[in-house]
Amino acid sequence: MSFLVDSFLSALLLLWSFDPELYFVIYVSLKVSFSSTLIASLLGVPAGFLIAFKEFRAKRFLITVLNTFLALPTVVVGLVVYAFISRRGILGILDLLYTQTAMVIGQVILIFPVVACLTIAAISRIDDRYRRTAMTLGATPFQTALVVFREARFAVIAAVIAAFGRVIAEVGISMMLGGNAKGYTRTMTTAMALEYDKGEFVLGVALGMVLLLISFTMNIFFNTVQGKTGA
Amino acid sequence: MLFAIKKLTKVYGNRTVLNLPDLVFEKEIIYALQGPNGSGKTTLLEIMSLLLPPSTGTILYNNKKIDFGNTDLTPLRREIVMVQQNPVLFTTTVYKNLEFGLKIRGIPRMERQKIVQESLDLVGMREFSNAQAHRLSGGETQRVAIARALACSPRVMFFDEPTSNVDVENQIVIERIIQDINVQKKISVIFTTHNLTQASRLSHDVISLFDGRQVHSTYENIFAGRIVEDQAGRRLCLIRDEIGLSLDTEKAGPVRLTIDPLKVTLLRPQEAEGKENIFDGRLTQLSEEQGLVRAVVNIGIPLYVLLPKQSLKERGLTVGDPVKVLCPPEAIHVF
Repeated sequence: MSFLVDSFLSALLLLWSFDPELYFVIYVSLKVSFSSTLIASLLGVPAGFLIAFKEFRAKRFLITVLNTFLALPTVVVGLVVYAFISRRGILGILDLLYTQTAMVIGQVILIFPVVACLTIAAISRIDDRYRRTAMTLGATPFQTALVVFREARFAVIAAVIAAFGRVIAEVGISMMLGGNAKGYTRTMTTAMALEYDKGEFVLGVALGMVLLLISFTMNIFFNTVQGKTGA
Repeated sequence: MLFAIKKLTKVYGNRTVLNLPDLVFEKEIIYALQGPNGSGKTTLLEIMSLLLPPSTGTILYNNKKIDFGNTDLTPLRREIVMVQQNPVLFTTTVYKNLEFGLKIRGIPRMERQKIVQESLDLVGMREFSNAQAHRLSGGETQRVAIARALACSPRVMFFDEPTSNVDVENQIVIERIIQDINVQKKISVIFTTHNLTQASRLSHDVISLFDGRQVHSTYENIFAGRIVEDQAGRRLCLIRDEIGLSLDTEKAGPVRLTIDPLKVTLLRPQEAEGKENIFDGRLTQLSEEQGLVRAVVNIGIPLYVLLPKQSLKERGLTVGDPVKVLCPPEAIHVF
């Protein structure tokens, strides 16, 4: 127990001392995670919205497929992307392996189904009377869609936050596609895994605290926005 | 002519929920669509407000055929607004709810402000302008929904059961608003209700629906019956195998029939001698309705009768009295 307390106190000191290595790892983590969340949201939110809003033949099948991909292990994504971008892969010429771009690609694949599925759930829960109200008030089909989206906005934001939480805490893709290169692709989770292998816990605990702090801040932000609009 | 409906049907699976061969609505009039639950009132309202396509048939609006195959009926919808039975307000302020219809019509900001305030004044909700819409009570929500629809300056307004979920105080306010917008703004109004008294009180014309079809009587006197022939060869409609109504019809077997409450007469026992379709009954209820008296008579089945006050006064009838009920053949409609 005292070992854990010691690690915790040393971690606090490390954070307080503004250790450049620690803060660069945090920077890379945030940069990669924000990039992948942004791209996955730009793709997943409209896709989820269209799937939920429109009626088409393969709708249920598509939702089932997306739900299946929710359980996709990070190492499987890492493996598949690796097969494409390694030197022997068809995209090997792009020289993406062990870069932050490769990590972003893998993470987008990982969280696209999360964003899309949670957006589908958010839109599907919106009472159909909102759609009909917008229509009867003279809204065009596009304006009607915007009304429905607006009513689902908080659930969609929650979907994006959940997706961000998934990527910032994942280790498999970052390790396999980023390679945990110090000062380049090392993220909080890969650094923690390395520290564990070395039997050094101080940096690991410090990074764990930062991870929790980021998650806490995101949720406070979300609750504040929600509270201000009275929803 | 505002709307003309021809051979309109709406079918869900194997079930025909609406079947209207011919129906016309005139401009600047308040119509009540009246009937029990499941009679097709809301479906008809949704079709006429262009929210639901019919299965077959045509609708003319201002003498022009509505093309439901056309994906964008938005220009037409901007003349017709429906207030739903349980309206929803967008999750924002009351002001922004009212502003929505105006914004999408491209109305400038200053004008929008003026129209929103005017509309809120009309429903007595000005002080709620900045309130969060989803925190209002049921009656307030209904009034804001009416104001939101009014702000769009429609030519026609549809109300689906406008007072079914509000208290008496709000019911009076909403009925007053419906009459005001018709008189002051010359807006044609079509509303649904299952309350016959409200339908008669509020509208210029009542259209009764039953089982998706128009019936030429109020739904209160609708019965299931069976056409039989008696020993003398007269055709009778038997209701519950007890009450036999003599009538002239080509139909046979199980039927439905309506008895027009305005054409039924209540008589003292001595006045009824020698007349056909006379039934013994007892007066169980009396109430006043738009200068008439609504009476409920138990003749084995409850029968609703609307008669002039004078007629009741002359005969000195009161609740509990035995009466003779005369149902002339012209009061009976078999379908």
